[in-house]
Amino acid sequence: MKSHAMSLPSQADALPQEVERFDLHFRIQHVIMLTTFLLLFFTGWALKFSEVETSQTWIRFWGGAKTAGIIHRAAGILMLLDGLYHVAYLVYRFAKGKLRFDLVPVWKDVVDFYQNVLYFLGASQEKPRFRRFTYLQKFDYWAVFWGVFVIGTSGLALAFPTKAALFFPAWTTNWIWELIYIMHSDEALLAIVFILFWHFYNEHLRPEVFPMSWVWITGKVSVSELREHYPAEFERLFPEAGDEGAVGEGPGVSV
Amino acid sequence: MGRRYPLFSYLILFVAVFFPNRLLFADNLSCLICHESLKGTYVTGKGVESSLHVNGDKFAASVHGDLECTNCHVRYEDNPHSLPEESADLALNRIAEAIAKKSPVDPVAQAACSQCHPDIYEEVRQSVHGVNIFQKKEIDGALCLDCHGSPHEIVHAADAGHHSSESPVAYGRIVETCGRCHEKKSVSLKYGFSTKIIERYDESFHGKKYHLGGNDLPVCTTCHGAHNIRAQSDPAAMVYGANKIELCGQCHAGANTKFVAAITHKPIGKDNPIPYYAEKGLILLTFLVISGCAIHIVLDIFSLIRQAAQVRRRRRNEVARNESSVAG
Repeated sequence: MKSHAMSLPSQADALPQEVERFDLHFRIQHVIMLTTFLLLFFTGWALKFSEVETSQTWIRFWGGAKTAGIIHRAAGILMLLDGLYHVAYLVYRFAKGKLRFDLVPVWKDVVDFYQNVLYFLGASQEKPRFRRFTYLQKFDYWAVFWGVFVIGTSGLALAFPTKAALFFPAWTTNWIWELIYIMHSDEALLAIVFILFWHFYNEHLRPEVFPMSWVWITGKVSVSELREHYPAEFERLFPEAGDEGAVGEGPGVSV
Repeated sequence: MGRRYPLFSYLILFVAVFFPNRLLFADNLSCLICHESLKGTYVTGKGVESSLHVNGDKFAASVHGDLECTNCHVRYEDNPHSLPEESADLALNRIAEAIAKKSPVDPVAQAACSQCHPDIYEEVRQSVHGVNIFQKKEIDGALCLDCHGSPHEIVHAADAGHHSSESPVAYGRIVETCGRCHEKKSVSLKYGFSTKIIERYDESFHGKKYHLGGNDLPVCTTCHGAHNIRAQSDPAAMVYGANKIELCGQCHAGANTKFVAAITHKPIGKDNPIPYYAEKGLILLTFLVISGCAIHIVLDIFSLIRQAAQVRRRRRNEVARNESSVAG
């Protein structure tokens, strides 16, 4: 990375204040996702750990075992519909020629990861120059995609077992139910712990976003934020602008 | 005998003053005067440890509270007891003989249940538990008291779906009660059923929701029956072959063979490799993902701290430089 000693204030003036990162549809999809995720988490966790005494009290808060089960199924179906909404919207954008495949993992993510670890360890003073989505965010996104598929399909089979049984070949019945149960239960545990660690840390707890990144409501990020965190995306959007400009003196500024 | 009467009347007076409710079942009073205060256990002539204690309050409150002691303890009609003789009627003696190995203390009293509950007793005799006791002369297998608890304290099992009841056969306690024998590894190995039956039930959706306080979930007896319980291999069993499809269909409309295969109570072992290794794989995946995330987060935090320290150091240096330049 070339270091620009001189800033170009005249060009910085020409930049917009904010850029849109997520349009309204994506924001709605995210809100449905997080609401249903929490409902499924709260009702499902007590079921997974039903032998723990506090689970009984917790499930009573959700209206008892039967009501909690109905909430869990309803939230699950809503989440699956949300997933369909998302995919349908992606197809729509693709048809309109507006879909950029910038969430698809590419080789640069591996390089970014390597660069970031070096930076973390102090072996390099340069942060990776992220594009629109960092490898952390791609991991987050595809984890949800995979999770909704695995937990959603197994959940459907568990919610409608007599219907699901019609689709299973007879030779699978000795193991398919156990497999579906494990898929649903263990994968859900992975998803919950992953979200609590990864998503909460990266989007809520890091000092630069604490208590949270507001992009999930506004859909927008300021240009200085964009320039700081996603320099490659900034350059793509504003090829004329300089590299340093009016970026504030945050802790992440390289010397 | 004559000299004991004054003492006896004092006792009755004492009881009448301090425990007036005892007189409501005065026929049992003479038994309870001694048996309420007999605590601990004693060893019979045949070397069997037994308790002679009877809780009069609980007995009075039990469903059998208005029976007389000697209705069941037919061999102990005189007081103080002479050595029990074979005075009971013939039918009772025949049953008592058959269960003597299992109930050595007073088999006649245990057989006495059949006097008032002949149909149920017959069902039990035909059941897998009964056959094991009456025909195979084993001591394993439940008789009346193994499930219903102390004969002097039997209360009505609350209606289905109730979780709070004293009765060991009530909805909320039946799984625990069956588990008293069916969780025993020795019993499972001897009779060749899964050693994890209760554990697997608890892990199933039925068991999980049951333990969370659900009241419409099947418990052991819902699917296997109670007094009429049969071995799984018995064509008369509720869970045998096509019977199982009909049974599951009572709650799950449209149940078929492939559906009813879901409930086996078998542990997931290496003999069922697909779920076994899928579980191991998912645990490994969880471990790898979470530890990877944790390492990444920890590195990030250290780096943030280092950067903050750098910024602070730079500021301090600047302040120091400014001060020195002012001083100079």
